[in-house]
Amino acid sequence: MPEWISIIIRSIILITVLFFFVKWLGAKQLSQLNIFETISGIVLGGIAAFHTVDPYNSFYYALLAMFVWFIAAFTIEKLSLKSKRMRDFTDGKSTVFIQNGKIMEENLKKEGYSTDDLLEKLRNNNQFLVSDVEFAVLEPTGELNVLPKKENQPITLKDLNITPAPAKEPQTVIADGNILLEPLANASLNPTWLEAELEKQNVTIDNVFLGQVDHQGQLFLDLYDDHITVPEPAQSALLLASMKKCQADLELFALATDNPASKEVYDRNQKRMQEAVNRMEPYLKS
Amino acid sequence: MTVGSQVKTCYATLKSIEAGLDLLYAASMEQDLKAAIEEASQLIKETRHDIHQQVIHIDKQEPQYKS
Repeated sequence: MPEWISIIIRSIILITVLFFFVKWLGAKQLSQLNIFETISGIVLGGIAAFHTVDPYNSFYYALLAMFVWFIAAFTIEKLSLKSKRMRDFTDGKSTVFIQNGKIMEENLKKEGYSTDDLLEKLRNNNQFLVSDVEFAVLEPTGELNVLPKKENQPITLKDLNITPAPAKEPQTVIADGNILLEPLANASLNPTWLEAELEKQNVTIDNVFLGQVDHQGQLFLDLYDDHITVPEPAQSALLLASMKKCQADLELFALATDNPASKEVYDRNQKRMQEAVNRMEPYLKS
Repeated sequence: MTVGSQVKTCYATLKSIEAGLDLLYAASMEQDLKAAIEEASQLIKETRHDIHQQVIHIDKQEPQYKS
């Protein structure tokens, strides 16, 4: 057998073997690998490369060596999944750098971090003042995670005492001019509804590049023909606006009338409307 | 516009809001939203009822503007 054919065959087999080994070792990103996983990955690749280009080496040795390295890495990975102590040994532990706003100098020294390194890592996390940081921990991957002090944390709706409307994930119902039935069913809608909705917006299905339905059942479209502008659905905003207008009207009537009985009726209903507006506002506001 | 027609417009708006809420109720898939719509819809229904009485009352008082 000519050498070049042997090299081709070896390459193909080793690529396949390597592919499956790497797949079985699990899908992790390069930065998440611990030292042992990194080394075994490199060694596996090295063995494959070495035996591909050298036709005089025994091919079975290559498979054997790769298998042994694979088994070792695989066993350690499975063991470290099972036991915490093993995990601490293979993956390393995280080190606390800042606790209660105070820098732990011993831990810094242990990990070989200078003040400049620490400040750089903090700046990576958008913290320029050490006194803004409540807690910082160095992960085994070498990444620093930072918890800012409560007053420096970004404001959330919870802080503002606002109840947000729970937003469900939108469903993509049209892609490349085709109706996608499964997402449509997930949104508990049917093709007839979709056709009616498209008719309302005056577009044909062939012209739609992408169509999505939000949790309120509003359809958003993107067309192939970018010269046509599709109106954004404003049903819920309109509804909210008319509710507010109605409330304002009732308030006005209550002020305008001289009849005490009518005034009472308008006032009561004005309050009712206000309640309804308050109840619906988080959901209808877009 | 007389007060009577203004109140009537308001009454019509209330009806339209009620229908809009019903539409949203049918289209939405969330329990939270559905519960909110149910509550709001109940409030609107009571309001609509009251305003309807008011429309009748005003019609009686100003029969010359009766539509």
